[in-house]
Formats: sequence, structure tokens, C-alpha cells
Amino acid sequence: MKETPNHKPLIEIRGIHKKFGNKIVHRGIDLDIYEGEVLALMGGSGCGKSVLLRMIVGLEKPDQGTLKYNGKSLEALSEEKLIPIRKKIAYVFQYGALFDSFSVKENLAYPLREHTQLSEQEIHNKVMATLERLGLKGTENLYPSGLSGGMQRRVGVARSIIMNPEVVLYDEPTTGLDPFNTQQILKTILHLKQQGTTSVLVTHDMHAIFSITDRVAFLKEGQILALGSTEQIKNSTIKEVSSFIHGESY
Amino acid sequence: MDRARKFIFMGCESSLVILVEFLEFLGGTANLLYASIVALFRRPFYFRLLIEQCYILGVKSSSIVFITALSTGMVMSLQFGFGLERFGGKLYVPKVVGLSIMRELGPVLTCLMIAARVGAGIAAELGSMSVTQQIDAIRALGTDPIKRLVIPRVLALLIMTPLLTVFADLVGIFGGMFISNAELFIHPDFYYHEAILSLKTSDFLVGIIKTSFFGLLIAFTGCYYGLKTEGGTQGVGQATTKSVVTSSLLIVVSDFVMTKLFWIFERK
Repeated sequence: MKETPNHKPLIEIRGIHKKFGNKIVHRGIDLDIYEGEVLALMGGSGCGKSVLLRMIVGLEKPDQGTLKYNGKSLEALSEEKLIPIRKKIAYVFQYGALFDSFSVKENLAYPLREHTQLSEQEIHNKVMATLERLGLKGTENLYPSGLSGGMQRRVGVARSIIMNPEVVLYDEPTTGLDPFNTQQILKTILHLKQQGTTSVLVTHDMHAIFSITDRVAFLKEGQILALGSTEQIKNSTIKEVSSFIHGESY
Repeated sequence: MDRARKFIFMGCESSLVILVEFLEFLGGTANLLYASIVALFRRPFYFRLLIEQCYILGVKSSSIVFITALSTGMVMSLQFGFGLERFGGKLYVPKVVGLSIMRELGPVLTCLMIAARVGAGIAAELGSMSVTQQIDAIRALGTDPIKRLVIPRVLALLIMTPLLTVFADLVGIFGGMFISNAELFIHPDFYYHEAILSLKTSDFLVGIIKTSFFGLLIAFTGCYYGLKTEGGTQGVGQATTKSVVTSSLLIVVSDFVMTKLFWIFERK
């Protein structure tokens, strides 16, 4: 089951193998991610979705295989050489991973101070605009410990998108959130999609998958079992896929 | 017989585990040292973070260093005073106190206190950041955790440990002077003349070289255990304990090695 747009992929993943100790996580993953699409990585716990996401931004290295971003190989790049790539590919951590000794404003200002020559006033304006966009106005002086889990995730999203990345990788962005926070994050992903940003989501949230994604990849035992448009996956006849979607054991 | 064999086997096994852990520590800190040297000369330079760490790790440690040094100087003066008095050697107290504080006790006790306060703090802070993915976030946001977290702490300790040791030396000698005067009736002028003026530059330098090396040991040990922390809050606790125990042991052992080396060098 495959459906691929006919333009060149932005991210090419070929023959990825990875193991941690004796545990094999990936057994030869091939996947193309296209510019401007929203792709969901779906599958049971421990099937290697989050590890794959971490590999795309260079937080993990594959044991074998290649990862290319815009034709440039990432797997052998040093931390220093990954810095320009990480300005273009943002990563949203599952629980936000906010710097707990920084206020919300300082968290959002962090990438701007590190990578731009903006003045403090310009940084302030950009931070405030991003917070407003995510419905977080008024939280700028709070510390992460003073925020709810949902707000922490939204601040995490805000910090990741403040540099206007080309690709945003979301690790379970809506898991465990209330409907309001879920909706805010989904709206942000859709808004970014309209601006041409590519999004890759690792999620178990069927509502999120079926409402905002263009394509879905289903992983099982370190391999891609099914890949197709959201509609194709929704109506998949593959037993494991349909069982997973309908919450049955497979 | 079987029981004895089992105990021997268990003893060998735990010794092997300790050895493997120590070798892992050596390899890990060597890697961290190499990465830090490489990163030290690359932009950007975080001077503000360095100043901040000098304050947090150094200035804020001054009170515990003060109390430790003062008590040490006073105790030494008292002990040597009463001990040497029996042999009519009370007047040697200032020299003995000055020399032992300057060459040995000042650097070692200061750094042991810093290892307990600062080493534990570094391991706990970086460990908490590791288990909450904040270190990954630093990397994912296109910045280098070695540059932002390790280098400011290493440089701050490299700068502040010698300064704190000089402070401890002075406070310790003053503590000794106070007790010598109050309990042994040694005049402060005589004490000052004997304790300070009879010291050589090399006595001062030996202490400073030792303390700079101990500062590096504390910083790299704390950073190593902090950055490799896994397993939630329990992992943070273990990292903190390991950091304090390892750096304290390394300080004591390397103190002996350096003392011996300086002794050989100075005799030539």
C-alpha cells in the first residue's frame, strides 16, 4: 500500500537499522517525507517511532542505513555540522523538555538569542507574537513548574517553531492532553502546514491522525508495515493496522 | 566449601564490576575532556555563563570554605601546641601550622568541601536536565551542551578553586594565630613572622597547582556523571552520590601522587 506524491522527497530514509544492546529497534526502514505534508508515524509502543524521529534530527545515529535532508546525508554528521540542520528541523519533545530554570519568555528567546542577531526588543516582540498564536499570552513570566502539562507542551511547540523551521517533528504532541490543548496543538500544525511547513508526528491519537495528516506510516517490529494516505490507512485491510486503529489486540 | 567458593566468586564479581565502572569513568571523562578542549576554542563564547558559574560555584562556597579552614587552623594549632609543648617545641607551632595548611590541608580540605557542595550540585543539576530531556532539547535547538553546560563549570572551578584555596590558607593561618595567642600565649607578631615569612614561594605554588588539578577533577567528574544520568530521580540520586564519592577519592589519591612528585622535583 503506497501513495507517494510525484515530487522529490525532502527527507529520504533508506535501510535504517538500529539496536540498543540486544534489543533490535529498526530492521531496515525506508521512508520518504515530502515537503509540506503532514505525516504520522503510528504503531504500538516500542516499535521504534520515537527513535526514528530522533534520528531525523540527529539525536540518535543509525547503526546502518542513510538519512538525507534535502539531499544531504545526516547520519555521519558531527554535532557541530548538525547545527545548521537543527535550525531547519525543529523537534517537539513529548513533555515539552522546557528549561526549568528559565521563564517561558526565556525559553522561547533561547533559540533566537543563540542563532539570530535580533535586538532584545525584536526578540520580545517575536516571543509575544508566538505566545499569542498558541493562546499562551500572559504566561511569559511564568516558570515551567507553574504551567499545566498542556501549557508546557504548547510552550514546547512555541519554542520549536519560533525560528520558522522547514520541518517540525512532534513526539506524541497530544497524548494525555485535554480537548482544548489538543485542539490548540492540532490547529498550530494545520496553520504551519498552510505556510508550507512539513510535519512528522509520532502519535497514538486517532482523532489527530485522521483530522490533520496527509499520510500515515504504520510501524511494527522495527519495519514499516503499511504506508499510504490517511484515507487508505483508515480503510486498511491489513489485520494489524485495522486492529490497531480500532483498539483491538493484534 | 561451596559457600566459601560462592563468597569468593561474589567478591571477584563485585571487584570486576567496580573495575569496569572505573574504566568506563576514565574513558568517559577522557572523551569529555577532549570534547571540551575542542569546544573551548569554537564560537560562541558564553562569558555571562562563566561569570554566573564563578559566582554560584565559587563565591557561594566561600562560607563553607571559611568555616572549614578556620576550624582546621584552630584545631591544628591546639593539637600541635599541646603535643609539642611536651618536648619544648611550642614555638614551632606557627611553622608547622603554616606549612601544613599551605601545602596540604588548605588545598585538600577546600577541594573536598567543594566536591561535596559543588560536585554534587553539578551532577544533580545536569542529571535532572538529562532525565527531563533538557540536554536533548539543547542539542535539538542547535546548541552544544558541552559549550553551554560543561565548559562554564570547568572554567569556573579552574578559576575559583585556587582563589578559594588562597582564602582558606589565610583563614586557616589566622585561626591558628588566634588559638596560638589565646591558648599557647604565642605573640601574633612572632606567629606571623614564623608562619608566613618562613614559607617559600614553592610551598604556595604546590598548593595552587594541586588545587587547580582538583578543581578540574571535581568539574569533569560532576559533569560526566550528570550527563550520563539515566533512570529518573533514582538515577539523579545515584549520579550525585557517585560524583561526590569518586571526586573525593580522586582528590585524596591524586594528592598523594602529586605530593610525592613535588617532593622528588623539589629535592633535585
